[in-house]
Amino acid sequence: MAALERPGSTTTQRLLGVLLPLLCGLLGVFIANIPISLLGGAVPPPLLGLLPIYFWCLVRPDLMTPAAALTIGIAEDILSGGPPGVWSLAFVLTYAVVARQRDSFAGLSGLVAVVGFGAAASVACASAYFTIAALYGHFQPLAPILSELAMTVLFYVPTVYVFGIIHHRLVGASRSDF
Amino acid sequence: MANAWKIARKSNAQLPLVIVIALAIVLVLLGKAQSGMFDQARAWVTDWIAPGLEKVRAPVQDFGRFVGSITEVFSVYEQNLKLKEENARLRQWRNVATVLQGRVTRYQILLHAVPDPKLNAVLARVIGRVSRPFLQTMVLNAGKQDGAMPGQAVVDARGMIGRIYLTGQRTSWVILLTDLNSRIPVTISSAVGSSGNVQAMMTGDNTTMPVLDIVSRQATLHAGDQVVSSGDGGLLPAGLPIGTVVDDGSGGWRVALLADASSSQDVEILNFSQPPEALPPTVQLPAEAAGLKPQPPPPVAATPALVLAAPKPVVVARPMATNASPSPEAAESEDQ
Repeated sequence: MAALERPGSTTTQRLLGVLLPLLCGLLGVFIANIPISLLGGAVPPPLLGLLPIYFWCLVRPDLMTPAAALTIGIAEDILSGGPPGVWSLAFVLTYAVVARQRDSFAGLSGLVAVVGFGAAASVACASAYFTIAALYGHFQPLAPILSELAMTVLFYVPTVYVFGIIHHRLVGASRSDF
Repeated sequence: MANAWKIARKSNAQLPLVIVIALAIVLVLLGKAQSGMFDQARAWVTDWIAPGLEKVRAPVQDFGRFVGSITEVFSVYEQNLKLKEENARLRQWRNVATVLQGRVTRYQILLHAVPDPKLNAVLARVIGRVSRPFLQTMVLNAGKQDGAMPGQAVVDARGMIGRIYLTGQRTSWVILLTDLNSRIPVTISSAVGSSGNVQAMMTGDNTTMPVLDIVSRQATLHAGDQVVSSGDGGLLPAGLPIGTVVDDGSGGWRVALLADASSSQDVEILNFSQPPEALPPTVQLPAEAAGLKPQPPPPVAATPALVLAAPKPVVVARPMATNASPSPEAAESEDQ
């Protein structure tokens, strides 16, 4: 039972624990969209905003709500500079898929967990790709979106490790009271 | 990993998922109708982080150069030979260009041609680059307070890079020619023979070489034809060098750009504003063209006498003396 107790006792800490998944998503969006490329623009940045959505949708869906996913998607749309709404829709649809298959995704471990996240990220990239195709009336080259998918999956393991630490120390495993 | 995660069983989402999905779809449609919806927020964020971007620019540039040099170190010898050959060829072209420039200047003087207006330019530095699947852009450290405005062309020493589509107070976003949203009217000058210029539309598709949509189906292109901006629409100045035509292998044509947006550091923002063509005053137009009723002819004045100009004496041109000093025979006849 000790593991299920809330790490923070004060109201501020509890509020921080509730907001932390959303803040992690917004921070990930901000970092991913800083207009600096260490590799000269050879590869696109990963979708760091998608990682908290996936993580907390599995472990604490009460903290990562659809509205939070939409907020992170809107932030991604604002900062990435693409057509408005594309990533908002992609993130929300991914959230819907993950939330519907939550038990299946959460039961994965090891390398299969990475593959599971890859499937979820594929949903996001595919929905963004087809939304763009619908907006522009023709399909775009696949290579850039596949590169972004690969980069996002590549960042999954280290990012989830950090999220695990944040989750156990600051958020907690049990349901929020808010 | 699943054991470590304590899975909450049921979500108490504040908004039902269906409503949020509907909101996202509305956002897409709204964004399609008003594409500049998020632009101000993006410009504000970029202005806010611009000082930080300028500080980290140098180390990031050095790191990128280091990473790039790792692969290039294996081909230094071949690249050196290629550069020497290209340098020799470019020297020849420079001589040709110098001769042609002189000839054009002489023709302009002879024809009393009005020279092209000089463009005001703002020098800016590239402080950021974004290469996303659906967006290829760069961020400059010049904004509204420097005179940068949306629509202005951005060039480097080699050619056109793109045009500004969003300006903050201190920063600007440049939409690259390779971007999905880029469409530039261009003129293609034939490099083979003298088949004239071809008007076309150059469209980016997020590849390194934009596509050419030729307006006229009867036009014939050749690989190596020069592509410059046409100036149609008055948004961009005419004649900005853009690239050369290449065959894409499937019956279409693409443009190999002269400028390399991934390596450009200092660029110029061209302040080009073509004033709208002013209509001549209605009094100078024929009455029907000016939309006026034909006026009766003015009454003939009686008092002023008709003054005819005196005919000028006819001047017969004489052949010019080839020698400035008078010949001895001519001097003798004058004396007599």
